Amino acid sequence: MSESRLEVFLARIYVDQAARERFLADPRGEAIRAGLAAHEIDDVVNIDRDGLDLFAHSLEHKRAHKHGHQKNRN
Amino acid sequence: MAVAAEAVAVVVEGEMNADRFGLGWRPRLAAGILANLDRIDIVEVIADDYFRAPHHERRALQTLAAQTPVTLHGVSLGLASSVPVETRRLDDIARLCVEVSPEFWSEHLAFVRGGGIEIGHLAAPPRTEATIEGALANLARAKQIVGIAPQVENVATLIDPPGSDRDEASWLSGIVRNSESKLLLDLHNLYANATNFNFDPCKFVARIPVERISTVHLAGGKWIGRNGAQRLLDDHLHDVPDPVYELLEEIAARAPQPLTVILERDGNFPSIESLLAQLDRARKAASRGRARSLEAAA
Repeated sequence: MSESRLEVFLARIYVDQAARERFLADPRGEAIRAGLAAHEIDDVVNIDRDGLDLFAHSLEHKRAHKHGHQKNRN
Repeated sequence: MAVAAEAVAVVVEGEMNADRFGLGWRPRLAAGILANLDRIDIVEVIADDYFRAPHHERRALQTLAAQTPVTLHGVSLGLASSVPVETRRLDDIARLCVEVSPEFWSEHLAFVRGGGIEIGHLAAPPRTEATIEGALANLARAKQIVGIAPQVENVATLIDPPGSDRDEASWLSGIVRNSESKLLLDLHNLYANATNFNFDPCKFVARIPVERISTVHLAGGKWIGRNGAQRLLDDHLHDVPDPVYELLEEIAARAPQPLTVILERDGNFPSIESLLAQLDRARKAASRGRARSLEAAA
């Protein structure tokens, strides 16, 4: 089974702030450039922006917390 | 009447004895758990913490498993994905299962990486036929390599997963009904999703195969965001809220099979007595559900 372009796209905008900002500035353009299928493009254009913002910040917080723990262990 | 009530009480006690209540193992809780094994029926251990652990820590886990029933809980396989789970990750689980002989193992129905990017948390995948098929293929590989199919857990999400063509109950049921895996139903994840995306969690429960639920997770969370964009975050840092106990009662009323109920706490640790009190409250909620089931059957 080949890797879903949508999963790759989502992973990127969840984790990479620059990619997320590019996406939010031009959702359709970024989705097309990522090679998503037509129905996927419509879906990401209508993405739950509040949820995206909160999830992305939650991930940042989690990563910072994890790094803090690793530093403490070292 | 009194005889019937007495008979019900006896049966309820029997059902309660079949249900088990335990805690997630965390190093900070270790002393409290070990001192209270008479009040803790089972312990759930995060498998990933032991894949690269030094020998003495793995030996300690084996010792724990010899003292009390243990389950292993994975957090990084990424079962619900179009991407096949890497064999080395399944080998890690398989090796640990051989060493520890857990009662069962479990993992989340999440995607955790894509295109070489590690998300760093459990993300809800697009709810589609493709991710159902991906999950089923991954579960079959997991069974083949580990020897036992994992129980599969629903995840909490702050974002309505883009690209979905069905709701969570339908998607989850599609995986559980078509695999050998039993369901680990996380009731705080369910409650958080129901709260954030405005659906009735009891109707959700009515639509999933409750007879396949084997384990239940309890946890707490907090509100995040501002103004109109608030969402409930499942952070495992807070006490179990009332609606989650109500959902446990609902599950115990609907599911005829014994349940294993695990309280998860990842930080902001209260005293062990506080956690044990939450377990006792879970026992009472499940007992109420069992009694409701018996009354309905009478």
